[in-house]
Amino acid sequence: MSSSEFLSHFLFTLISFALLLTLVGAVKRMLLWSQGQSSTIHWLGLLQIPRRYLVDLHHVVARDKYMSNTHVATAGGFVLSSILIILLYVFQLTLQILTWALLGSSLLMFIGSIFVMLRRRNPPPNLSLGKWQRLPKSLMVFSLSFFILTLPATGILPSDTGGWLLALLLVAGIIWGIGEMFCGMTWGGPMKHAFAGALHLGLHRRQERFGGQSTGLKAIDLSSKKLGVEKPIDFKWNQLLSFDACVECGRCENNCPAFAAGQPLNPKKLIQDMVIGMAGGDDAKFAGSPYPGIKVGTHKGGAIIPIVNVLVESETLWSCTTCRACVDACPMMIEHVDAIVDMRRFETMEKGQTPGKGSEILENLSATDNPNGFAPSTRMNWAADQNLTVFGHNEKKQQVTQADVLLWVGDAAFDMRNQRTLRAMIKLLRAAKVDFAVLGDAECDSGDLARRLGDEATFQRLANSNISTMNKYSFNTIVTADPHAFHCIKNEYGEFGGNYNVMHHTGFFAELVSQQKIKLDNSKELALTYHDPCYLGRYNGEYDAPRFLLESMGVKIKEMERSKSTARCCGGGGGAPVTDIPGKQRIPDMRMADVIETKAEIVAVACPGCSAMLEGVVEPRPEVKDIAELMLDALIEDTGEDMVGAQV
Amino acid sequence: MSELFRRDPRAQWIARNRLHPLHQALVIGPVFGPSGLLRKNLHLIGFIGPNGLKRIDRSGASNNSEQGSRRSATASEVILPLHQVVEPAFYIVVVLDLVSGRLNSHDKDTLGLAQQLANRNSGGGAVVAIAFGELKDDSLDKAGVDRLIHINDEQYADYNPEQRCNDLQGIIAELEPQHILLPDSINGGGDLGRRLAAALQQRPACGVWKLNDDTVICRGSAGKRDITRPLSKLLLVMEECSEPISETRHENSLMSQAPSPLTNGKLLDQGNISVDPNAIPLAEAGFILSGGNGINDWEQFHHTASVLGATEGASRVAVDDGNMPRERQVGATGTWVTAQVYIAVGISGAIQHMQGIGQCDKVVAINTDEGCDMVKRADISAIGDSTEILARLVELVEQRKQIKQTINGGATNE
Amino acid sequence: MSNNNLSVISLVSLGEHPTSRRPRRAEQDARAIELGIKLVGDNLQTLHAGELSDDASQQTALRSYLGMGLAEIKLLEMPADADAVLVIADYLKQQKTDIILTGVRAENGESSGMLPYLLAEQLGMAMVTSIADILSIDEVNKQAEVLQALPRGQRRKLKVDLPFIASVDMAAALPRQSAFGPAMRGQFETTLGGTFTDEESSDWQIVDAKKRPKRLKIIKAKTAADRFKAATAKASGGGGKVVYGVEESAQAILDLLIEEGLI
Repeated sequence: MSSSEFLSHFLFTLISFALLLTLVGAVKRMLLWSQGQSSTIHWLGLLQIPRRYLVDLHHVVARDKYMSNTHVATAGGFVLSSILIILLYVFQLTLQILTWALLGSSLLMFIGSIFVMLRRRNPPPNLSLGKWQRLPKSLMVFSLSFFILTLPATGILPSDTGGWLLALLLVAGIIWGIGEMFCGMTWGGPMKHAFAGALHLGLHRRQERFGGQSTGLKAIDLSSKKLGVEKPIDFKWNQLLSFDACVECGRCENNCPAFAAGQPLNPKKLIQDMVIGMAGGDDAKFAGSPYPGIKVGTHKGGAIIPIVNVLVESETLWSCTTCRACVDACPMMIEHVDAIVDMRRFETMEKGQTPGKGSEILENLSATDNPNGFAPSTRMNWAADQNLTVFGHNEKKQQVTQADVLLWVGDAAFDMRNQRTLRAMIKLLRAAKVDFAVLGDAECDSGDLARRLGDEATFQRLANSNISTMNKYSFNTIVTADPHAFHCIKNEYGEFGGNYNVMHHTGFFAELVSQQKIKLDNSKELALTYHDPCYLGRYNGEYDAPRFLLESMGVKIKEMERSKSTARCCGGGGGAPVTDIPGKQRIPDMRMADVIETKAEIVAVACPGCSAMLEGVVEPRPEVKDIAELMLDALIEDTGEDMVGAQV
Repeated sequence: MSELFRRDPRAQWIARNRLHPLHQALVIGPVFGPSGLLRKNLHLIGFIGPNGLKRIDRSGASNNSEQGSRRSATASEVILPLHQVVEPAFYIVVVLDLVSGRLNSHDKDTLGLAQQLANRNSGGGAVVAIAFGELKDDSLDKAGVDRLIHINDEQYADYNPEQRCNDLQGIIAELEPQHILLPDSINGGGDLGRRLAAALQQRPACGVWKLNDDTVICRGSAGKRDITRPLSKLLLVMEECSEPISETRHENSLMSQAPSPLTNGKLLDQGNISVDPNAIPLAEAGFILSGGNGINDWEQFHHTASVLGATEGASRVAVDDGNMPRERQVGATGTWVTAQVYIAVGISGAIQHMQGIGQCDKVVAINTDEGCDMVKRADISAIGDSTEILARLVELVEQRKQIKQTINGGATNE
Repeated sequence: MSNNNLSVISLVSLGEHPTSRRPRRAEQDARAIELGIKLVGDNLQTLHAGELSDDASQQTALRSYLGMGLAEIKLLEMPADADAVLVIADYLKQQKTDIILTGVRAENGESSGMLPYLLAEQLGMAMVTSIADILSIDEVNKQAEVLQALPRGQRRKLKVDLPFIASVDMAAALPRQSAFGPAMRGQFETTLGGTFTDEESSDWQIVDAKKRPKRLKIIKAKTAADRFKAATAKASGGGGKVVYGVEESAQAILDLLIEEGLI
């Protein structure tokens, strides 16, 4: 028996065995996922895997061109090679074209793996080391082995080249390569991401994400025996699957404002901890950046062991600003924020351990419908001089049940700073002759804060109350200056039967400006930058309307390095100012440093939370102004001419 | 006071004008006529003799030393008319709080209401004040006390509400008062009054703040509602329920009271424990020294707070910068404070902070920036370098303490 | 503290939020529960006299005590306007209790603060008001050491004989957060409490409290000149005074502190 004959026989056995082993691993892994709670299985999604992989996933990966090309070469080469290997060595097809194709694909994969290797020469801190440092070598061994193996078959080299020595080397290389690349996929190696990732893409809990948007938190049944997630098995099975999809690329870590501020949160580590929790074990082998201030190797977990303060410290959960920067940056489409809020729900609704001022705020929300405990009957005090039309019963006028626009005031009503924005908005609406009305004292907090602090019960009460109030009246559009309320009403009230046409004030004003209903003076020269609110940008994809408005005022925006979908959070979301987890620096200070870097004198904001956080930065600093305020400054008010014209 | 003699043209004019209402009060000293001659005012010398004639005693025996004294800054004390109740038709009992042996404004208001009750309708009632323990105040007569029962014993220096309640029951059984009034205060009156009510099986009117004929208005629902109800026998009254007595003097005559036997109480006072000002929750603190971004020397800040005996507070920025712990943060986003005096050092006054100190009585700002919001809000604003001002303030306070110590030390030596 | 043999009952009432007037857990009662849990943990018994209303917000308010981790609340059913003292006293007479914890006063109704005193009188127990903490319990000598809250953060230590009733002040430790899950799952154990109607209060007039007028400074002037001076002088001295210079500033502040009696 020549060495080549031996090889082909041996490879059949080896590869068949490896595939069997991989299958066993896959079943074991699936059993791990199946410990989770039931959730709809989107079978059709499986058909979408290639498309989602090639379009949605690569759309994210391509933000890093180097890595995107590398991954195309490596992964493309690997997938192709694998198929060909199975055809050639398991099904023993002997088509010459396949052999040539395998030669090509393994070469492609080898080239890709060289770039992977180069990347890992001097790895940036967001990359995990450990087993991930082994991966480029495994890739090279796999691709090179099959490349060399294929050479004789194509006839480039005579068969039996290298004799038994090469054959043995190749056997060793193939065992390594296949072990890592096939068996490792389902037995927990770095290649796990390919197997779990592909299934995750197909069976994703938010199918609407692909080709659309799905950012609203999912409601839970308040009458269930356990509210929120206490143990890994309390997650939905597809959430457990999603954790396994993580490639530890650390893009989430790079984008996380809490991590940058030195608060004890690292989204990548959190997901890896969830994997540890699901499979059991400790975090000693984690080879990436730790949670700032918490040593790696001190926590362990298991599927039926409570997570908080055993596997993950509660401060980690409460550091999150729910800014979604991690979710947006994640090439594997993992939903970190969902997992964090699920665990927060258990902390708040079962244990009653919302940190900081959380407990007080939640108590206020349930007693007064606003987070700071102001009397609900004073909600309209700010507008005493505004002569607003209020829906429902009015003192003198008749019943108001209809208006074109419902102006959602939000909790800015109680905040002296953001009342300025509201007043500006009202002037602008009046200048554009918009028919609008407000809900007055009947309005409640949107529930955003309560929900993100894990108090789903209070959120649902507020949402239901608001929906039943709004359903009494007819209007075409809800307009609000608060992106949090905007997001809540637009994306989260639907589950409770509240479906409305909601617009953020920037979007609404942009329409009015483009329809010439509001005329803006574009002669002023302002050194200005714009800060994207997370709940407007990443949550709702609105990046253009605010910029359009600013440009209509003649402003050339000095964009910050991190803007639009990568904009850094102001630190005000997700109840982070309430829970107030200490870090090394404050998130708004970092954001203001971003602003100062652009040499802008004004930072335009479009969210009451952002204005409060950024104005909290110690002066001297650039001025913080809401877009509505800037618009009011630039508003060209109709002089009497139109009126006269109308009269004649 | 300066020993220089200063001419006061107005006083001289009044002295010349015998019809001026102040004439009598002013012409005590020597009067110089227009020519500079010393003039004696015969109207002021001497006294009315037993036969109704004016007598001038030149022997000097009855000579009051007013002659030659300069014009004094304070006018002589006005003697108020004496209100006497010889035969009381009924009694109104008031149990005084007497914080550290003195009447406080709450006691005075309670006495004022008691006098209203004693003199309503046809009047004739006498207000019996009951004082437990040490009594240092000598102004009881001017506060409206007709009769005084003073129960003093060593044990009344302590908190012994059970014994006091027993004593009161004895007194009430004897006097059969029409009404019993106690200040509804945290200084003992509220507690004692309720004990008494339970013991007498009388339903008290608590939180009374107004008396209208036969009804009283009480604050109920923890201050959220006003309850108008018939006047009851036992009244626990709030501060400012009535004007204190100011127009009359009262007898303040001591009524003897056989002390009731000492009972074995179930409560035993172990004395006040010393509380570190910084252990007092901010919301409760009466005196807060609060630091902000303008403070450079935090050591000095802490030292100042301990010398002044103030509770420490901080602005958000000071907390964010790690100079103070989070629970010390004052403001809408921190703790809402209710201090009697709030000193803001180097705090310019963000809106949230100003909201949080809205309930403070007196606000002092120490700041370099005269235009900041805190200065606009403050009752006293010190413009200048906070380090220097605090240093000088500490010096002044320590000087004062030393002076006090020497005085106290001297007193004990005598 | 492990006081396993101790029997502690906390009495809870329906609170009322000061601005929204909505039912909630009463702040002092919640502190009483917190203190009770600190003393005996799960052995704390909780008692409420009233009715379980159909009104969702009222139920939620009562349930928020359960949300502090209580397994159940004993409910002595009685009409909302009945006199709770007699109902509770009747019940407690049949129990062997060491410590009864209440709030200082209710957040609605008359809120006279009489309940603990009346119970103490009827049950023959000691009564201590406005406590901030229970420091220790000596079960042998049947005595407890409690800390009483005085104005402005001052504290007095008292020894009190067991059994006793204590009303818990706002200065006591903050109550733990009420969690929704346990609140919904906790149970009410209902027994009929009896009806003792409070007839006296039926003809009271109850209106929303208005702000009391600030007392005016009355000037006792004996002469026309003094009266004139009082009428024309600046209303309040010292308001918004701005001082410059280190010495003047320090002196002005010191004067204020002396005037306010803080030094």
